[in-house]
Amino acid sequence: MSITTIGQITLEQAKALVECLESGEQEAADAIVNDIQNPTNSELFAEIGKLTRQLHDSLTNFQVDSRLSNLATGDIPDAKERLNYVIERTEEAANKTMDAVEAIFPVVDNISGRVEAVNPAWTKLMNNEIDLAEFKSLCLGIDTLLKNTGKETQLIHSLMTDVLMAQDFQDLTGQVIRKVIDLVREVEDSLINMLTAFGISSDGVLEGLGDDASPREKSKSTLSVGENLVEGPIINTENRDDVVEDQDDVDDLLSSLGF
Amino acid sequence: MKVLVVDDFSTMRRIVKNLLRDLGFTNIQEADDGSTALPMLQGGDFDFVVTDWNMPGMQGIDLLKAIRADPSLSHIPVLLITAEAKKEQIVMAAQAGVNGYIVKPFTAGTLKTKLDKIFERLG
Repeated sequence: MSITTIGQITLEQAKALVECLESGEQEAADAIVNDIQNPTNSELFAEIGKLTRQLHDSLTNFQVDSRLSNLATGDIPDAKERLNYVIERTEEAANKTMDAVEAIFPVVDNISGRVEAVNPAWTKLMNNEIDLAEFKSLCLGIDTLLKNTGKETQLIHSLMTDVLMAQDFQDLTGQVIRKVIDLVREVEDSLINMLTAFGISSDGVLEGLGDDASPREKSKSTLSVGENLVEGPIINTENRDDVVEDQDDVDDLLSSLGF
Repeated sequence: MKVLVVDDFSTMRRIVKNLLRDLGFTNIQEADDGSTALPMLQGGDFDFVVTDWNMPGMQGIDLLKAIRADPSLSHIPVLLITAEAKKEQIVMAAQAGVNGYIVKPFTAGTLKTKLDKIFERLG
């Protein structure tokens, strides 16, 4: 923008200026000087205007980046809901397991107690030291033991199945947590984009993530696997009409299809 | 009866295996997704498949379609046990020829009922 680098003044302008000064027309001379300076000014203004517009656009784009605002207003609260679901499911599983185990303990203790009770008389019988009255009492004791133990082992078996079934949370919560991990990755990408837009070298920002590159690629490809979109466990079934709430709903839907 | 249990979560495979054993199925093998399951099915004389839907690699619905498309496997009954609960998906599974559909979380009783129903139908 230096005046010396571009033709800022013509020979005609210079001659006119000299004429004006020689004839003492100061106002006319000033006007010529202004004319000469004007083109420089408008170029400077144009440059400032361009920079201002760029700054304005950057700020506007930052504010209206819809993905970023969706992340903040939609996806992150949704992730909180998903993580709460993980807490609920794991808590429920822990309680179910402990309920079953606590119910098993007294049953096992009962069996053990009855075995202890018949044991002295049984030892006497084995050593041929038992009398008739003791023998009759031993028979009754063993009768009770056999009858009750049969029932109680069935109860234990059923409680053990409850313990087993309580472990299904691991599959469900694993799927939910994977979804949240995907969201975290997306937030990370948005933040990197934002930093890049604000002129911080994306190379510098991405450098620290170098080791991450392959798992990132891998999980991105698993997301698009298969032509059928899978959603995983539905957390808010009551707010949706495109999903079933429980097994009864599934059975109803299938039977309506003639299944 | 030889059964193949397909799920990417080993805990869920273990649960299903235990429940099936309880119901009298003793010959049970496992696969962690459809692409592992399919060659096992083609190589062995399986009588029944229990599969999850959402798995990395080949998904359960694609495994079901592949089984129905293969003349040597198409007779094998397939039971889906999945967290996928969209009506659209259940309809899709029915159209693909699934024999039973159980949504997670499920109970031992549900599994027994569905198995009884499947084998009753097959005669």
